[in-house]
Amino acid sequence: MEQAFSTAKGALENGEVPVGCLMVYHNEVLGRGRNEVNETKNATRHAEMVAVGHVLEWCRQKGRRWQEVFKDTVLYVTVEPCIMCAAALRLLNIPLVVYACRNERFGGCGSVLNIPADDLQHTGAPFQCIGGHRAEEAVDLLKTFYKAENPNGTFAFSNTAPKSKVRRKE
Amino acid sequence: MLNCFPDPDVGGSMEPPCKKRKTEAFGTFTWELMPVLSDERSGEVELLEAYAAPIINKKQTSALVKRLAEVYPLSNLPHIKRVRPCKDKKSDHPLEIIICLHSDLNSTDALNGKVSLSDLFPEGNVDVTGLGDPFQVKIPAEQPLTRLQFEIASQHWPTSFHENKQVTEALRGQLFNIEEKAKMQTFMEKAIEVAKVGKGLGMEPVGAVMVNPASDRIIAVGHDCRNGPNPLLHAVMVCIDQVAYGQGGGAFNHDKYPQCYFRSAEPFLGDDVVSTAKPLLLSDDHILKGTVTNRLPYICTGYDLYVTREPCVMCAMALVHSRIHRVFYGTSSPDGALGTKYKIHTRKDLNHHYVVFKGLMEKECQLLS
Repeated sequence: MEQAFSTAKGALENGEVPVGCLMVYHNEVLGRGRNEVNETKNATRHAEMVAVGHVLEWCRQKGRRWQEVFKDTVLYVTVEPCIMCAAALRLLNIPLVVYACRNERFGGCGSVLNIPADDLQHTGAPFQCIGGHRAEEAVDLLKTFYKAENPNGTFAFSNTAPKSKVRRKE
Repeated sequence: MLNCFPDPDVGGSMEPPCKKRKTEAFGTFTWELMPVLSDERSGEVELLEAYAAPIINKKQTSALVKRLAEVYPLSNLPHIKRVRPCKDKKSDHPLEIIICLHSDLNSTDALNGKVSLSDLFPEGNVDVTGLGDPFQVKIPAEQPLTRLQFEIASQHWPTSFHENKQVTEALRGQLFNIEEKAKMQTFMEKAIEVAKVGKGLGMEPVGAVMVNPASDRIIAVGHDCRNGPNPLLHAVMVCIDQVAYGQGGGAFNHDKYPQCYFRSAEPFLGDDVVSTAKPLLLSDDHILKGTVTNRLPYICTGYDLYVTREPCVMCAMALVHSRIHRVFYGTSSPDGALGTKYKIHTRKDLNHHYVVFKGLMEKECQLLS
């Protein structure tokens, strides 16, 4: 989780939403990602999707099947995966996700929808979630970002930052 | 900002009726486009049990309305018209008035069978002069949102209704004229064509085409690539990334798939371009408000997506993040997120909503799988 946080800080330095994550397979970090939406002009380049790309590349280099690798891979991420990423994680059959703070606006693991638990026969496998570890720190990071982006309170994401929206999981 | 609810008089002049009739005469399409509306819009009319009574003396009406509103304000039912003209013309009373809901009464005894005015006003402190014997009615629990809902609701009791003309036209299949339908068919034909190319490469047979409706130009084309190096590259995700390439970004290497391509983004030319694009707002918010003129487009803001089958949750949410304007799909998917399992595009708790139509070249799209 420490590493996920430092990755998130990297996003902050690059003007991206500070979300960072790690994909760990048998105690080995195979993928690391931070939000790259502005850089790529692709709104789907969330930290999780970036990390998935790294794991796939590792699989390619090692000649491993991604199906075998992801089913033993744990995702550590600073913010609850959004609905899109939660569905992606299902499609990859990732068994466990550990996250810090909740994502009240887009959260796909309970906050808005509960994608890992829903009955979706054709969308991979359900997964487990553990939330709340260092939540306050993750919220503070987001707040720093939105404060910097939005000195006048008019930025589109301004209402993400306040406590009311990004609530901590106690 | 675009007006979502055009005044009927003004809105009517936008499209001369004679023009529409002329073009519709030649319309022959084997498919029918249906809007995928929110549950509130597509749902059935929910009814509540209530008591009403005839107003024997018409002159008492306003006094009765005032008195009843004090005892039973019906504050959760602002859409209900308290008084209705009597349905039966031969009746000896001209008007009927809602007294209260079943649930307003404390006594469960009163719920069954005939009730009297003294059951409904147990305190005895209301002047019921002019009211006849109460009877039971069913009244609509919510304000109707579509004309069909309004028609059903009105059969039970009159309600207020602010019609969204576009929703009504869409539900009647009248929203698009033949030229628009012909264009839609062309774009979906392209999506079907690339879906077949993808299938030939061992992919799922899904194709997607991104269009700028202001210029009717194809911005990006993508077919499913999930059986290639990245299992998450569904056609929609490929298409979104191709749009990003057109804007100087992009994240994946699509060189192996020449049928997935993009056009370089063109700057918006000014207000004219945006305003001639017919605003299509089947949801209640201002979808195009983020569109800025004289600037390069931001991700997929204002664009239309044509995709052969209903997107999954991942893709549907990717389209929320990408600020898509409208989605047209051919056929439903078992875990589809734009109508089947979810209606991601209408969720009030998400920060962007878009308009979805299904059924465009449905048969051809079904044949793909």
